[in-house]
Amino acid sequence: MNYFELFGLEAKFSIDLAELSATFQALQKTVHPDRFAHSSSQEQLLAVQKSAEINDAYQTLKQPISRGEYLLTLRGTELPSEQQSFQDVSFLMEQMELREMLADIEHASDVDAAIFSAQETLDIQSQNIWQKTQQLLDKNNEQDNIAASELLRKLKFYHKLQIELERIEDALFDD
Amino acid sequence: MAYSEKVLDHYENPRNVGSFDKNDPQVATGMVGAPACGDVMKLQLKIDEEGIIEDAKFKTYGCGSAIASSSLVTEWVKGKSIDEAAEIKNTAIAEELALPPVKIHCSILAEDAIKAAIEDYRTKHQD
Repeated sequence: MNYFELFGLEAKFSIDLAELSATFQALQKTVHPDRFAHSSSQEQLLAVQKSAEINDAYQTLKQPISRGEYLLTLRGTELPSEQQSFQDVSFLMEQMELREMLADIEHASDVDAAIFSAQETLDIQSQNIWQKTQQLLDKNNEQDNIAASELLRKLKFYHKLQIELERIEDALFDD
Repeated sequence: MAYSEKVLDHYENPRNVGSFDKNDPQVATGMVGAPACGDVMKLQLKIDEEGIIEDAKFKTYGCGSAIASSSLVTEWVKGKSIDEAAEIKNTAIAEELALPPVKIHCSILAEDAIKAAIEDYRTKHQD
């Protein structure tokens, strides 16, 4: 049973996150240790394993990048190895500029405005890539699946930028 | 996770940070990224007429190991021919910096950055 089936979902990219979360709670209840307090140790062990599987499935499906990658794996698309470096020069140049933009925030005369504008830039660019990724994943043919896996790699860089922006924001307003 | 002393040294005192003009015909630029951790690395080599690397600069956004790997590489490539530089292996970088297995990809990134820069140089000087 794959993760989508476990959650009673059709294997596609767009899912209802509220429904996912509700199903997660319901599934976890069925394997809660309290229910197995008087069961055999084997049954208790199985419940723990099932609980871990439900948790893995939920974490994978909740995050769009991992959901997209999981969907592609189910479709038999080979994902580029994590060790393989990414060499799209113009994309990396843009990434370098975005990193510089984030590094400049603390020197800005109006820090709030700089954070706001950085967030807006990241949102616009990543949403643009997300839109394309979703279209490709919905088409679901071999070539588009490969193209989608490349875009998911790009989105990981934006995910990292988002974490970095949040870290900068925390550091600036913590003290 | 604890960084090795050599990683910390390069991380705290990175060598050769900066940029050359990428349009200078003597300058070769290698850009690589690691999607797994979002690291971005730019390595630039200044190469003389004899094909000897006279200077190198880097700019890396990433973890301490990625910064140390690229900093170390700028020291290693200086004075080498491009063919010799192309021979630098990630295993040597990882060994020198005592990188733990989970950080080996940082040394791979640095090796790929050298290769990408040399590729850029060869494209610029095809004739």
